[in-house]
Amino acid sequence: MRQFLPVEDLARDERFVQTNMAARLADKRSAIPVADKGDAPARKSSKSRGSNNRLTPDRHDASDAARGLMHGIMVGEIQALEGAGRTAHDFEAGDGSGDTIPFELKLDMARQAWDEARHVEISAKLSDWMGTELGEFQENTVLFEAACSNDPVLRLAGVNRALEGLAIDVFTQMKEFGQLADDPFLEFCEDWMLADEVTHVKMGSDWLRKVTENDPDRRTKALEFQQVVDKLFSFGGARSDSDESSFQLARRFRELAGFTDDEVATIAEMDLMALEERKAAVRAMQETASLDSTPA
Amino acid sequence: MADDTTSSTATESTARPPFAPWDRRDLPGSFDVAETARRVGNYKWTEMKLFEALGGWVATVPELDVKMRLGTHCYHHAWHAELWHKRLPELREMKPERLTVPANEAMERFIAAMTEPEAPELTIEKLVGVYRVLIPRFIAAYTYHLNNTSQITDAPTIRSLRHALDDEYADWCDGELMLQSLITTPEHVERATRHQAALEAIMVEAGGITGPGSIG
Repeated sequence: MRQFLPVEDLARDERFVQTNMAARLADKRSAIPVADKGDAPARKSSKSRGSNNRLTPDRHDASDAARGLMHGIMVGEIQALEGAGRTAHDFEAGDGSGDTIPFELKLDMARQAWDEARHVEISAKLSDWMGTELGEFQENTVLFEAACSNDPVLRLAGVNRALEGLAIDVFTQMKEFGQLADDPFLEFCEDWMLADEVTHVKMGSDWLRKVTENDPDRRTKALEFQQVVDKLFSFGGARSDSDESSFQLARRFRELAGFTDDEVATIAEMDLMALEERKAAVRAMQETASLDSTPA
Repeated sequence: MADDTTSSTATESTARPPFAPWDRRDLPGSFDVAETARRVGNYKWTEMKLFEALGGWVATVPELDVKMRLGTHCYHHAWHAELWHKRLPELREMKPERLTVPANEAMERFIAAMTEPEAPELTIEKLVGVYRVLIPRFIAAYTYHLNNTSQITDAPTIRSLRHALDDEYADWCDGELMLQSLITTPEHVERATRHQAALEAIMVEAGGITGPGSIG
Protein backbone atom coordinates (compact mmCIF):
# COMPACT_ATOMS: atom_id res chain seq x y z
CA MET A 1 0.00 0.00 0.00
CA ARG A 2 1.31 3.45 -0.91
CA GLN A 3 2.28 5.89 1.82
CA PHE A 4 0.07 8.68 0.49
CA LEU A 5 -3.23 8.27 -1.33
CA PRO A 6 -4.27 11.04 -3.74
CA VAL A 7 -7.82 12.34 -3.47
CA GLU A 8 -8.76 11.06 -6.92
CA ASP A 9 -8.12 7.49 -5.71
CA LEU A 10 -10.73 7.64 -2.94
CA ALA A 11 -12.86 4.51 -3.29
CA ARG A 12 -16.63 4.95 -3.61
CA ASP A 13 -19.50 2.84 -4.84
CA GLU A 14 -21.48 3.91 -7.90
CA ARG A 15 -24.10 5.86 -5.92
CA PHE A 16 -21.66 8.61 -4.98
CA VAL A 17 -21.16 11.56 -7.32
CA GLN A 18 -18.08 13.61 -6.62
CA THR A 19 -17.76 17.24 -7.58
CA ASN A 20 -16.04 20.45 -6.54
CA MET A 21 -17.21 22.82 -3.86
CA ALA A 22 -18.62 25.43 -6.25
CA ALA A 23 -20.86 22.84 -7.93
CA ARG A 24 -21.93 21.43 -4.58
CA LEU A 25 -22.92 24.87 -3.31
CA ALA A 26 -24.74 25.65 -6.53
CA ASP A 27 -27.23 22.90 -5.67
CA LYS A 28 -30.48 24.84 -5.07
CA ARG A 29 -31.31 22.49 -2.20
CA SER A 30 -28.24 23.62 -0.27
CA ALA A 31 -28.60 24.90 3.29
CA ILE A 32 -26.38 27.76 2.25
CA PRO A 33 -28.31 30.38 0.29
CA VAL A 34 -27.11 30.63 -3.27
CA ALA A 35 -27.38 33.48 -5.66
CA ASP A 36 -27.24 33.56 -9.39
CA LYS A 37 -28.61 35.82 -12.06
CA GLY A 38 -32.06 36.94 -11.11
CA ASP A 39 -31.90 35.76 -7.52
CA ALA A 40 -31.63 37.92 -4.46
CA PRO A 41 -28.42 37.48 -2.44
CA ALA A 42 -30.19 34.80 -0.48
CA ARG A 43 -33.30 33.02 -1.65
CA LYS A 44 -36.17 35.23 -2.69
CA SER A 45 -38.35 34.01 0.13
CA SER A 46 -35.82 35.12 2.65
CA LYS A 47 -36.91 38.67 1.95
CA SER A 48 -39.91 38.04 4.13
CA ARG A 49 -37.57 37.12 6.95
CA GLY A 50 -35.43 40.17 6.48
CA SER A 51 -31.84 39.10 6.06
CA ASN A 52 -31.97 36.15 8.45
CA ASN A 53 -30.54 33.08 6.76
CA ARG A 54 -30.12 30.83 9.78
CA LEU A 55 -31.10 27.24 9.11
CA THR A 56 -34.34 27.02 11.06
CA PRO A 57 -37.46 24.89 10.54
CA ASP A 58 -39.50 27.94 9.46
CA ARG A 59 -37.41 28.45 6.31
CA HIS A 60 -39.55 27.44 3.33
CA ASP A 61 -36.74 25.23 2.10
CA ALA A 62 -35.93 23.81 5.55
CA SER A 63 -36.61 20.19 4.63
CA ASP A 64 -34.36 20.08 1.56
CA ALA A 65 -31.74 22.25 3.23
CA ALA A 66 -31.58 20.00 6.29
CA ARG A 67 -31.52 16.85 4.15
CA GLY A 68 -28.75 18.25 1.98
CA LEU A 69 -26.80 19.31 5.02
CA MET A 70 -27.17 15.90 6.64
CA HIS A 71 -25.99 14.21 3.46
CA GLY A 72 -23.05 16.62 3.38
CA ILE A 73 -22.29 15.73 6.98
CA MET A 74 -22.37 12.04 6.11
CA VAL A 75 -19.92 12.30 3.20
CA GLY A 76 -17.79 14.65 5.30
CA GLU A 77 -17.68 12.00 8.02
CA ILE A 78 -16.68 9.37 5.45
CA GLN A 79 -13.76 11.57 4.38
CA ALA A 80 -12.87 12.35 7.99
CA LEU A 81 -12.79 8.60 8.65
CA GLU A 82 -10.58 8.09 5.62
CA GLY A 83 -8.33 11.00 6.60
CA ALA A 84 -7.83 9.80 10.18
CA GLY A 85 -7.15 6.28 8.93
CA ARG A 86 -4.58 7.56 6.47
CA THR A 87 -2.78 9.60 9.14
CA ALA A 88 -2.62 6.49 11.34
CA HIS A 89 -1.10 4.69 8.36
CA ASP A 90 1.02 7.19 6.47
CA PHE A 91 3.56 8.17 9.13
CA GLU A 92 5.96 6.00 11.11
CA ALA A 93 5.97 6.27 14.89
CA GLY A 94 8.82 8.49 16.04
CA ASP A 95 9.66 11.69 17.84
CA GLY A 96 7.49 13.86 15.61
CA SER A 97 10.26 15.21 13.45
CA GLY A 98 10.40 14.72 9.70
CA ASP A 99 8.10 12.04 8.42
CA THR A 100 7.27 10.64 11.87
CA ILE A 101 4.54 11.23 14.40
CA PRO A 102 4.47 10.25 18.07
CA PHE A 103 3.07 6.78 18.75
CA GLU A 104 0.34 8.30 20.95
CA LEU A 105 -0.76 10.55 18.07
CA LYS A 106 -1.16 7.48 15.87
CA LEU A 107 -3.32 5.96 18.60
CA ASP A 108 -5.44 9.14 18.72
CA MET A 109 -5.88 9.00 14.95
CA ALA A 110 -7.08 5.39 15.22
CA ARG A 111 -9.49 6.46 17.93
CA GLN A 112 -10.71 9.26 15.69
CA ALA A 113 -11.22 6.75 12.86
CA TRP A 114 -13.55 4.78 15.13
CA ASP A 115 -15.41 7.95 16.12
CA GLU A 116 -15.81 9.00 12.49
CA ALA A 117 -17.03 5.51 11.57
CA ARG A 118 -19.77 5.91 14.20
CA HIS A 119 -20.58 9.34 12.79
CA VAL A 120 -21.05 7.83 9.35
CA GLU A 121 -23.37 5.25 10.91
CA ILE A 122 -25.31 7.96 12.76
CA SER A 123 -25.61 10.31 9.78
CA ALA A 124 -26.57 7.44 7.44
CA LYS A 125 -29.38 6.49 9.80
CA LEU A 126 -30.42 10.14 10.24
CA SER A 127 -30.39 10.65 6.46
CA ASP A 128 -32.62 7.63 6.07
CA TRP A 129 -34.89 8.97 8.82
CA MET A 130 -35.11 12.27 6.92
CA GLY A 131 -36.01 10.50 3.68
CA THR A 132 -32.73 10.90 1.82
CA GLU A 133 -31.23 8.35 -0.56
CA LEU A 134 -27.51 7.75 -0.40
CA GLY A 135 -25.93 9.76 -3.23
CA GLU A 136 -28.96 12.03 -3.65
CA PHE A 137 -26.64 15.00 -3.15
CA GLN A 138 -23.18 15.44 -4.63
CA GLU A 139 -20.01 15.01 -2.62
CA ASN A 140 -17.14 17.46 -2.67
CA THR A 141 -13.84 16.03 -1.55
CA VAL A 142 -12.09 19.10 -0.19
CA LEU A 143 -12.05 17.64 3.31
CA PHE A 144 -9.96 14.66 2.25
CA GLU A 145 -7.69 16.96 0.25
CA ALA A 146 -6.90 18.80 3.48
CA ALA A 147 -6.04 15.41 4.94
CA CYS A 148 -3.57 14.63 2.15
CA SER A 149 -0.74 16.92 3.18
CA ASN A 150 2.69 15.34 3.44
CA ASP A 151 3.21 17.18 6.72
CA PRO A 152 1.17 15.60 9.54
CA VAL A 153 1.08 18.92 11.37
CA LEU A 154 -0.74 20.50 8.42
CA ARG A 155 -3.26 17.66 8.60
CA LEU A 156 -3.85 18.44 12.28
CA ALA A 157 -4.31 22.13 11.49
CA GLY A 158 -6.45 21.69 8.39
CA VAL A 159 -8.59 18.75 9.44
CA ASN A 160 -8.70 18.60 13.23
CA ARG A 161 -8.72 22.32 13.90
CA ALA A 162 -10.30 23.95 10.82
CA LEU A 163 -12.71 21.31 9.52
CA GLU A 164 -13.60 19.58 12.75
CA GLY A 165 -13.99 23.10 14.12
CA LEU A 166 -16.50 23.78 11.37
CA ALA A 167 -18.23 20.52 12.34
CA ILE A 168 -18.65 21.93 15.85
CA ASP A 169 -20.43 24.96 14.35
CA VAL A 170 -22.60 22.85 12.04
CA PHE A 171 -23.56 20.28 14.68
CA THR A 172 -24.45 23.02 17.12
CA GLN A 173 -26.75 24.49 14.46
CA MET A 174 -28.26 21.09 13.62
CA LYS A 175 -28.82 20.35 17.29
CA GLU A 176 -30.68 23.65 17.58
CA PHE A 177 -32.60 22.79 14.41
CA GLY A 178 -33.66 19.51 16.06
CA GLN A 179 -34.83 21.39 19.16
CA LEU A 180 -36.81 23.91 17.14
CA ALA A 181 -38.30 21.24 14.88
CA ASP A 182 -39.28 19.22 17.95
CA ASP A 183 -37.18 16.29 16.72
CA PRO A 184 -35.54 14.80 19.82
CA PHE A 185 -33.97 12.03 17.71
CA LEU A 186 -31.99 14.55 15.65
CA GLU A 187 -31.10 16.66 18.69
CA PHE A 188 -29.92 13.59 20.65
CA CYS A 189 -27.64 12.36 17.84
CA GLU A 190 -26.17 15.79 17.07
CA ASP A 191 -25.35 16.27 20.73
CA TRP A 192 -23.38 13.01 20.81
CA MET A 193 -21.51 13.84 17.62
CA LEU A 194 -20.79 17.31 18.95
CA ALA A 195 -19.13 15.81 22.03
CA ASP A 196 -16.83 13.75 19.79
CA GLU A 197 -15.96 16.71 17.57
CA VAL A 198 -14.92 18.84 20.54
CA THR A 199 -12.62 15.97 21.51
CA HIS A 200 -11.13 15.82 18.00
CA VAL A 201 -10.51 19.55 17.83
CA LYS A 202 -8.91 19.48 21.26
CA MET A 203 -6.78 16.55 20.10
CA GLY A 204 -5.65 18.67 17.14
CA SER A 205 -4.96 21.72 19.30
CA ASP A 206 -2.96 19.74 21.86
CA TRP A 207 -0.89 17.79 19.34
CA LEU A 208 -0.22 20.84 17.17
CA ARG A 209 1.25 22.64 20.17
CA LYS A 210 3.20 19.61 21.35
CA VAL A 211 4.71 18.55 18.02
CA THR A 212 5.74 22.10 17.08
CA GLU A 213 6.93 23.03 20.57
CA ASN A 214 10.49 23.57 19.38
CA ASP A 215 9.72 24.50 15.80
CA PRO A 216 7.98 27.90 15.64
CA ASP A 217 8.28 28.09 11.83
CA ARG A 218 6.46 24.82 11.42
CA ARG A 219 3.75 25.98 13.82
CA THR A 220 3.32 29.27 11.94
CA LYS A 221 2.98 27.44 8.63
CA ALA A 222 0.41 25.09 10.13
CA LEU A 223 -1.66 27.94 11.56
CA GLU A 224 -1.51 29.74 8.21
CA PHE A 225 -2.74 26.59 6.50
CA GLN A 226 -5.54 26.37 9.05
CA GLN A 227 -6.61 29.91 8.14
CA VAL A 228 -6.67 29.03 4.46
CA VAL A 229 -8.90 26.03 5.16
CA ASP A 230 -11.03 28.03 7.58
CA LYS A 231 -11.63 30.69 4.94
CA LEU A 232 -12.32 28.12 2.24
CA PHE A 233 -14.87 26.48 4.50
CA SER A 234 -16.56 29.64 5.61
CA PHE A 235 -18.39 29.15 2.29
CA GLY A 236 -18.36 32.86 1.51
CA GLY A 237 -19.59 33.79 4.96
CA ALA A 238 -22.13 31.00 5.33
CA ARG A 239 -20.73 30.69 8.82
CA SER A 240 -20.47 33.88 10.86
CA ASP A 241 -21.92 35.68 13.84
CA SER A 242 -24.24 37.58 11.48
CA ASP A 243 -27.85 36.42 11.08
CA GLU A 244 -27.23 36.61 7.35
CA SER A 245 -25.18 33.43 7.67
CA SER A 246 -26.61 29.93 7.88
CA PHE A 247 -24.38 28.88 10.76
CA GLN A 248 -23.09 30.64 13.79
CA LEU A 249 -19.63 30.28 15.26
CA ALA A 250 -20.06 27.95 18.28
CA ARG A 251 -17.81 29.96 20.56
CA ARG A 252 -18.33 28.05 23.81
CA PHE A 253 -17.59 24.64 22.29
CA ARG A 254 -14.58 26.03 20.42
CA GLU A 255 -13.16 27.28 23.71
CA LEU A 256 -13.66 23.80 25.20
CA ALA A 257 -11.79 22.43 22.19
CA GLY A 258 -8.69 24.49 22.91
CA PHE A 259 -9.19 27.59 20.75
CA THR A 260 -7.91 30.75 22.42
CA ASP A 261 -10.10 33.88 22.53
CA ASP A 262 -7.81 35.47 19.95
CA GLU A 263 -8.14 32.52 17.61
CA VAL A 264 -11.93 32.57 17.84
CA ALA A 265 -11.93 36.34 17.24
CA THR A 266 -9.72 35.89 14.15
CA ILE A 267 -12.05 33.27 12.70
CA ALA A 268 -15.10 35.45 13.44
CA GLU A 269 -13.46 38.39 11.71
CA MET A 270 -12.48 36.27 8.71
CA ASP A 271 -16.03 34.89 8.45
CA LEU A 272 -17.50 38.39 8.40
CA MET A 273 -15.00 39.50 5.76
CA ALA A 274 -15.92 36.49 3.64
CA LEU A 275 -19.60 37.38 4.02
CA GLU A 276 -18.98 40.99 2.94
CA GLU A 277 -16.89 39.84 -0.03
CA ARG A 278 -19.64 37.50 -1.09
CA LYS A 279 -22.32 40.18 -0.76
CA ALA A 280 -20.23 42.56 -2.85
CA ALA A 281 -19.82 39.89 -5.51
CA VAL A 282 -23.58 39.26 -5.55
CA ARG A 283 -24.29 43.01 -5.83
CA ALA A 284 -21.92 43.24 -8.78
CA MET A 285 -23.63 40.26 -10.39
CA GLN A 286 -27.06 41.84 -9.89
CA GLU A 287 -25.93 45.13 -11.40
CA THR A 288 -24.61 43.32 -14.45
CA ALA A 289 -27.87 41.38 -14.72
CA SER A 290 -29.94 44.53 -14.45
CA LEU A 291 -27.84 46.24 -17.17
CA ASP A 292 -28.29 43.18 -19.39
CA SER A 293 -32.07 43.29 -18.97
CA THR A 294 -32.39 47.08 -19.59
CA PRO A 295 -34.10 47.68 -22.98
CA ALA A 296 -31.71 49.23 -25.46
CA MET B 1 -28.09 -12.59 76.83
CA ALA B 2 -26.05 -9.67 75.47
CA ASP B 3 -22.95 -11.12 77.06
CA ASP B 4 -23.47 -14.45 75.28
CA THR B 5 -23.61 -12.78 71.87
CA THR B 6 -20.46 -10.81 72.54
CA SER B 7 -18.62 -13.86 73.70
CA SER B 8 -19.70 -15.92 70.66
CA THR B 9 -18.48 -13.19 68.25
CA ALA B 10 -15.19 -12.92 70.01
CA THR B 11 -14.43 -16.62 69.69
CA GLU B 12 -15.49 -16.99 66.02
CA SER B 13 -12.33 -17.22 63.94
CA THR B 14 -11.83 -14.94 60.92
CA ALA B 15 -8.76 -16.82 59.80
CA ARG B 16 -9.17 -18.10 56.27
CA PRO B 17 -6.74 -19.67 53.80
CA PRO B 18 -5.16 -17.14 51.38
CA PHE B 19 -6.79 -18.92 48.46
CA ALA B 20 -10.48 -19.69 48.72
CA PRO B 21 -11.56 -23.21 47.72
CA TRP B 22 -12.87 -21.97 44.39
CA ASP B 23 -9.65 -20.10 43.54
CA ARG B 24 -7.57 -22.66 41.64
CA ARG B 25 -4.95 -20.24 40.26
CA ASP B 26 -1.41 -21.56 40.41
CA LEU B 27 2.06 -20.04 40.51
CA PRO B 28 4.02 -21.89 37.82
CA GLY B 29 4.08 -20.41 34.35
CA SER B 30 5.90 -21.13 31.11
CA PHE B 31 7.34 -17.65 30.60
CA ASP B 32 9.81 -15.65 32.65
CA VAL B 33 9.84 -11.86 32.62
CA ALA B 34 12.23 -11.56 29.65
CA GLU B 35 10.31 -14.04 27.51
CA THR B 36 7.02 -12.34 28.36
CA ALA B 37 8.49 -8.98 27.34
CA ARG B 38 9.73 -10.45 24.07
CA ARG B 39 6.30 -11.84 23.25
CA VAL B 40 4.56 -8.62 24.28
CA GLY B 41 6.93 -6.66 22.01
CA ASN B 42 6.00 -8.92 19.08
CA TYR B 43 2.32 -8.45 19.89
CA LYS B 44 2.71 -4.68 19.93
CA TRP B 45 4.59 -4.59 16.63
CA THR B 46 2.03 -6.78 14.90
CA GLU B 47 -0.99 -4.95 16.37
CA MET B 48 0.58 -1.69 15.18
CA LYS B 49 1.06 -2.99 11.65
CA LEU B 50 -2.51 -4.23 11.68
CA PHE B 51 -4.11 -0.98 12.83
CA GLU B 52 -2.00 1.00 10.36
CA ALA B 53 -3.12 -1.27 7.53
CA LEU B 54 -6.77 -1.09 8.49
CA GLY B 55 -6.58 2.70 8.76
CA GLY B 56 -4.85 2.99 5.40
CA TRP B 57 -7.32 0.68 3.66
CA VAL B 58 -10.39 2.62 4.76
CA ALA B 59 -9.95 5.07 1.87
CA THR B 60 -9.32 2.31 -0.67
CA VAL B 61 -12.44 0.23 -0.04
CA PRO B 62 -15.61 1.24 -1.90
CA GLU B 63 -18.03 -0.91 0.12
CA LEU B 64 -19.50 1.49 2.69
CA ASP B 65 -20.21 -1.08 5.41
CA VAL B 66 -16.69 -2.52 5.09
CA LYS B 67 -15.20 0.97 5.18
CA MET B 68 -16.92 1.68 8.51
CA ARG B 69 -15.97 -1.71 10.02
CA LEU B 70 -12.32 -1.19 9.13
CA GLY B 71 -12.38 2.18 10.87
CA THR B 72 -13.85 0.59 13.99
CA HIS B 73 -11.44 -2.33 14.01
CA CYS B 74 -8.52 0.03 13.40
CA TYR B 75 -9.11 1.44 16.86
CA HIS B 76 -9.46 -1.98 18.50
CA HIS B 77 -5.98 -2.94 17.38
CA ALA B 78 -4.53 0.47 18.22
CA TRP B 79 -5.87 -0.03 21.73
CA HIS B 80 -4.22 -3.44 21.95
CA ALA B 81 -0.95 -1.88 20.80
CA GLU B 82 -1.34 0.70 23.55
CA LEU B 83 -1.96 -1.99 26.18
CA TRP B 84 1.23 -3.80 25.14
CA HIS B 85 3.16 -0.54 24.93
CA LYS B 86 2.24 0.21 28.54
CA ARG B 87 3.02 -3.33 29.68
CA LEU B 88 6.60 -3.31 28.37
CA PRO B 89 8.11 -0.99 31.03
CA GLU B 90 6.36 -3.08 33.68
CA LEU B 91 8.35 -6.00 32.30
CA ARG B 92 11.61 -4.10 32.81
CA GLU B 93 11.85 -2.85 29.21
CA MET B 94 12.31 0.89 29.69
CA LYS B 95 12.68 1.53 25.98
CA PRO B 96 9.55 -0.14 24.57
CA GLU B 97 10.72 0.60 21.00
CA ARG B 98 13.62 -1.82 21.48
CA LEU B 99 11.27 -4.78 21.72
CA THR B 100 8.63 -3.41 19.34
CA VAL B 101 9.85 -5.64 16.55
CA PRO B 102 8.62 -8.49 14.35
CA ALA B 103 9.34 -12.01 15.56
CA ASN B 104 11.56 -12.58 12.53
CA GLU B 105 12.15 -11.61 8.92
CA ALA B 106 9.37 -13.88 7.66
CA MET B 107 6.85 -12.10 9.87
CA GLU B 108 7.96 -8.79 8.40
CA ARG B 109 7.50 -10.27 4.92
CA PHE B 110 4.07 -11.53 5.91
CA ILE B 111 2.93 -8.01 6.85
CA ALA B 112 4.33 -6.62 3.60
CA ALA B 113 2.42 -9.25 1.61
CA MET B 114 -0.76 -8.79 3.63
CA THR B 115 -0.76 -5.02 3.12
CA GLU B 116 0.13 -5.14 -0.56
CA PRO B 117 -3.41 -5.13 -2.04
CA GLU B 118 -4.52 -1.53 -2.55
CA ALA B 119 -6.84 -1.30 -5.57
CA PRO B 120 -10.54 -0.80 -4.81
CA GLU B 121 -11.50 -4.10 -6.44
CA LEU B 122 -9.31 -6.07 -4.02
CA THR B 123 -11.50 -5.92 -0.91
CA ILE B 124 -11.64 -9.73 -0.71
CA GLU B 125 -7.85 -9.99 -0.63
CA LYS B 126 -7.60 -7.27 2.02
CA LEU B 127 -10.13 -8.97 4.26
CA VAL B 128 -8.75 -12.49 3.73
CA GLY B 129 -5.30 -11.43 4.91
CA VAL B 130 -6.64 -9.86 8.09
CA TYR B 131 -9.60 -12.04 9.03
CA ARG B 132 -8.65 -15.46 7.71
CA VAL B 133 -4.92 -15.40 8.39
CA LEU B 134 -3.67 -12.78 10.83
CA ILE B 135 -6.50 -12.52 13.35
CA PRO B 136 -6.81 -16.31 13.77
CA ARG B 137 -3.06 -16.28 14.50
CA PHE B 138 -3.60 -13.58 17.12
CA ILE B 139 -6.32 -15.68 18.71
CA ALA B 140 -3.98 -18.67 18.76
CA ALA B 141 -0.98 -16.81 20.18
CA TYR B 142 -3.01 -14.93 22.80
CA THR B 143 -4.84 -18.07 23.88
CA TYR B 144 -1.61 -20.03 24.19
CA HIS B 145 -0.10 -17.24 26.28
CA LEU B 146 -3.20 -16.93 28.44
CA ASN B 147 -3.28 -20.66 29.16
CA ASN B 148 0.42 -21.02 29.89
CA THR B 149 1.52 -17.97 31.81
CA SER B 150 1.60 -17.80 35.59
CA GLN B 151 -1.91 -17.04 36.75
CA ILE B 152 -0.62 -15.10 39.72
CA THR B 153 2.65 -13.41 38.80
CA ASP B 154 1.52 -12.39 35.30
CA ALA B 155 -2.03 -11.27 36.11
CA PRO B 156 -1.65 -7.88 34.34
CA THR B 157 -0.74 -9.58 31.05
CA ILE B 158 -3.65 -11.98 31.50
CA ARG B 159 -6.06 -9.08 31.95
CA SER B 160 -4.83 -7.43 28.73
CA LEU B 161 -4.90 -10.75 26.86
CA ARG B 162 -8.53 -11.27 27.85
CA HIS B 163 -9.56 -7.79 26.69
CA ALA B 164 -7.67 -8.23 23.44
CA LEU B 165 -9.10 -11.70 22.84
CA ASP B 166 -12.64 -10.39 23.32
CA ASP B 167 -12.02 -7.94 20.46
CA GLU B 168 -10.25 -10.51 18.30
CA TYR B 169 -13.16 -12.93 18.47
CA ALA B 170 -15.71 -10.21 17.68
CA ASP B 171 -13.62 -8.77 14.83
CA TRP B 172 -12.94 -12.24 13.44
CA CYS B 173 -16.69 -12.83 13.31
CA ASP B 174 -17.33 -9.43 11.66
CA GLY B 175 -14.62 -10.11 9.10
CA GLU B 176 -15.88 -13.57 8.28
CA LEU B 177 -19.41 -12.22 7.78
CA MET B 178 -18.11 -9.49 5.46
CA LEU B 179 -16.12 -12.05 3.49
CA GLN B 180 -18.99 -14.49 3.16
CA SER B 181 -21.17 -11.68 1.82
CA LEU B 182 -18.50 -10.70 -0.72
CA ILE B 183 -17.49 -14.17 -1.89
CA THR B 184 -20.39 -15.02 -4.16
CA THR B 185 -18.87 -16.70 -7.23
CA PRO B 186 -16.38 -19.50 -7.93
CA GLU B 187 -13.95 -16.84 -9.13
CA HIS B 188 -14.20 -15.08 -5.78
CA VAL B 189 -13.59 -18.38 -4.00
CA GLU B 190 -10.50 -18.94 -6.12
CA ARG B 191 -9.19 -15.44 -5.36
CA ALA B 192 -9.78 -15.82 -1.62
CA THR B 193 -8.22 -19.25 -1.32
CA ARG B 194 -5.24 -18.40 -3.51
CA HIS B 195 -4.43 -15.31 -1.48
CA GLN B 196 -4.99 -17.11 1.81
CA ALA B 197 -2.67 -19.94 0.77
CA ALA B 198 0.08 -17.52 -0.23
CA LEU B 199 -0.14 -15.68 3.08
CA GLU B 200 -0.44 -18.87 5.15
CA ALA B 201 2.78 -20.14 3.60
CA ILE B 202 4.68 -17.07 4.80
CA MET B 203 3.03 -17.26 8.21
CA VAL B 204 4.03 -20.89 8.60
CA GLU B 205 7.58 -19.90 7.75
CA ALA B 206 7.40 -17.23 10.44
CA GLY B 207 6.06 -19.71 12.97
CA GLY B 208 3.28 -17.40 14.13
CA ILE B 209 3.10 -13.96 15.65
CA THR B 210 5.87 -14.56 18.17
CA GLY B 211 7.85 -16.88 15.89
CA PRO B 212 8.33 -20.62 16.45
CA GLY B 213 6.68 -21.49 19.72
CA SER B 214 3.80 -19.08 19.22
CA ILE B 215 1.45 -21.86 20.23
CA GLY B 216 3.90 -24.13 22.01
